Amino acid sequence: MRVVIGEDEALLREGLALVLERAGFEVAALAADADALVAAADAHRPRLVVTDIRMPPTQSDDGLRAALAIRARLPETALLVLSQHAQRRYAVELLAERTAGVGYLLKQRVGEVDAFCADVRRVCDGGTVLDPDLVATLLGRARPDDDPLHRLTPRQREVLALMAAGRSNAAIAERLVITEKAVVKHVSRIYDQLDLLPGPDDHRRVLAVVRYLSR
Amino acid sequence: MRPAWSPPTTDRGDGRDGACAGAAAAAAPPIAAGAPAAVGAPAAVAAGPAVAVRAAPRPQLPPLLLFCAALALLAAVEAVLLLTQPGAPWQLALFPLASACWCAAGGVATVRRPRNRLGALMLAGALAWLAAGLANAPLPALAAIGLVVALAPLALAGHLLHAFPSGRLRGGASRAIVVGLYATALLLHAPSYLLRADGAGAPLQLADRPELVDLALALQDALGGLLMLATAVLLALRLRAATGPQRRVLAPLALYGIAAVVLVPLLSRLQGPLFGDDPRALFTAQAVLLGLLPLAFAGAVLRGGFAPTAGVQELSARLGAGSGGGSAPLREALADALGDPSVELLLATGGDGWADLDGRAAALPDPRSGRGTVAVAVGPRRVGAIVYDAALIADAAPVREAAAIIALALDRERLTVELVAGRDRLRRSRARIAAAADAERRRIARDLHDGVQGRLVVLALRAGELAQAAAEPDAVRARAEQLRRELDDALAALRELVHGVLPAALVERGLGAAVDGLADRMPLPTIVDVGDERYPPAVESACWFVIAEALANAVKHARARTLAVRVAPTAAGVRVEVRDDGVGGAGPAGPGAGGGLRGLADRVDVLGGRLLVDSPRGAGTLIVAELPCAS
Repeated sequence: MRVVIGEDEALLREGLALVLERAGFEVAALAADADALVAAADAHRPRLVVTDIRMPPTQSDDGLRAALAIRARLPETALLVLSQHAQRRYAVELLAERTAGVGYLLKQRVGEVDAFCADVRRVCDGGTVLDPDLVATLLGRARPDDDPLHRLTPRQREVLALMAAGRSNAAIAERLVITEKAVVKHVSRIYDQLDLLPGPDDHRRVLAVVRYLSR
Repeated sequence: MRPAWSPPTTDRGDGRDGACAGAAAAAAPPIAAGAPAAVGAPAAVAAGPAVAVRAAPRPQLPPLLLFCAALALLAAVEAVLLLTQPGAPWQLALFPLASACWCAAGGVATVRRPRNRLGALMLAGALAWLAAGLANAPLPALAAIGLVVALAPLALAGHLLHAFPSGRLRGGASRAIVVGLYATALLLHAPSYLLRADGAGAPLQLADRPELVDLALALQDALGGLLMLATAVLLALRLRAATGPQRRVLAPLALYGIAAVVLVPLLSRLQGPLFGDDPRALFTAQAVLLGLLPLAFAGAVLRGGFAPTAGVQELSARLGAGSGGGSAPLREALADALGDPSVELLLATGGDGWADLDGRAAALPDPRSGRGTVAVAVGPRRVGAIVYDAALIADAAPVREAAAIIALALDRERLTVELVAGRDRLRRSRARIAAAADAERRRIARDLHDGVQGRLVVLALRAGELAQAAAEPDAVRARAEQLRRELDDALAALRELVHGVLPAALVERGLGAAVDGLADRMPLPTIVDVGDERYPPAVESACWFVIAEALANAVKHARARTLAVRVAPTAAGVRVEVRDDGVGGAGPAGPGAGGGLRGLADRVDVLGGRLLVDSPRGAGTLIVAELPCAS
């Protein structure tokens, strides 16, 4: 699978390439700034673009904007954005266009190589991955006493967290060591409690959950 | 029995000689002489200008001069009339002399303060002395006039003392005493010429009821003494209550007045031991005491208490010519113009506050304190106030006139004071900002040292262990995994630290994303209404710190349930609102919040914005920062 990497810091750029190549990805190009990234994606039409959010030229959110631009031109491209900090707004923007094949992780997750590579593969396969830190922040937000979220059981909250992170019912069942049927039951309870419309697929429900949690 | 109230013109000690026509009568029975016409005509002349003085606020000098000259002429005529009588004692000359004395003082007072009634009062006193002297005139008709007003000079002297320096009677006590004095001097005096057969008052006599005369005289005596005493007490109280500058003005006349009103009745009681049986000596003493009252007034004038008010017009000339040498000249010019050395100027500050000319906070005086206040405005805008001595200036009209004249100059003072205060504030705030930046650097250095640096040292150690364990694959794997986890923790700590210095979202996305991130981490539900507008980096940073600090304060101190942040662009820049529904009462004096709020105010101030804190106790806190965005 062809990958293009955008990262302005040389060491990390090379490190990322190394990790992905070892995991069996074909690193087609390395870009040190947002413009080069867009050009590389245009040239190589990769399956996946992995990019840092803060990049030259403006050292602001150029990487994210480049990724969204690539997605607009090449809708089939999967996106994995990395950042030093988890920002809810970025997640919402990333998910807004299309939830399939989108990931948003803290940079430090790269260190946990196996888990990272598994996340990369999930994104390539059209899955959705949100950083656990971000999900924890979303779920941990202070809410008014009458918020429906307070009515969820601890188990339901666990399920909701995994839903928000982009896990499928099967993955959630595996993680929590329960049956998939039990997960489905939990999910429908959660939908009832939070008054959400059941999404057509696992990816759409990520956006619904994140939007709900962002309120 | 000597009556305590012994009028200077009357010796009715025993009535044996039938002299109710003044002290002189004892020695010189009135003799018919002189021309009635000569007396009547000047009296008519005198009445005219006296009215003119009261009616016109600024009488021309010539009519006044004419009036005084006429009075002097009359005095001379009277002196000749009285003294040319056979055997006339020289003391009769005291009437015209006292009159001249009062006339001179009245003239000076009128010239200096045309609006003040004191001048008119003293001119009336001059007339009264002149008329009282007529009691000894050789013509019965003239003598009758003299008899009727014999005690008027005494009442006028009392009136003068009560009305000084404003020209108006202050307070009910003063008014009552003065009315009482006039009643005692004029009404209670009437029986002594209406009901007595043996006196010189023959032309006026209606009946012969000596017992009623005695009763009236006894009443007059008692009441008069009481009123004089009350006057002395009141003057003493006023002198005691007076402030420094007021006292300077009041002292000469009040002290002399107290002495006079105490001595005049006292002397008549002590007549026996002091003067023997000579009523002329008593009269001389009393007449000199009251006749010289204007000298005491002159003393007050010399001490600056009765300065001319023509200066209100002069004031504009002085302001125009002035080189703008500060505020003292303005106040001095005003004090000179109003004749009130105690006059103060206050400046209107922002809100409803007042400041003195040095920029220190001040308050308007309580109207009951005897200080009057007149606002100074430029158009509809209030710029300051004149505070004056209401005891010295009874009529606020000249003060208002002066207020209109000095308005622009005072506004300039206000702007100058504001500018200086702003400069000082800026200097202090710059010092605080420098100190805050320094403290922040220290904090970051300490956090890096205590946190990340220490962790990295440990990690270096771990890497060393890992190198040594190279021979054992399992150990390497375990140690490498431990190293990675610890690095994760170090990175998380570093991320927090960096976020605390300046959140990445603020740099990358501006306030909207940054406040979202902040709200996500607040322990209280936080409603965020922040758009995606971008502002200059310095403005965004300032807004960020206002929001972060205000939210932190609310969490720490407000005991709030909900927080709300709103940021919206304005025509000139941006407006930030942070609201909580807590206990309120925040502010520079609020619990623990003072330093933080001050720091915020500094940050906002540096960018030319302003920070407002509305925190009524029990009703939540609203912190608003408005910042301009210079392009």
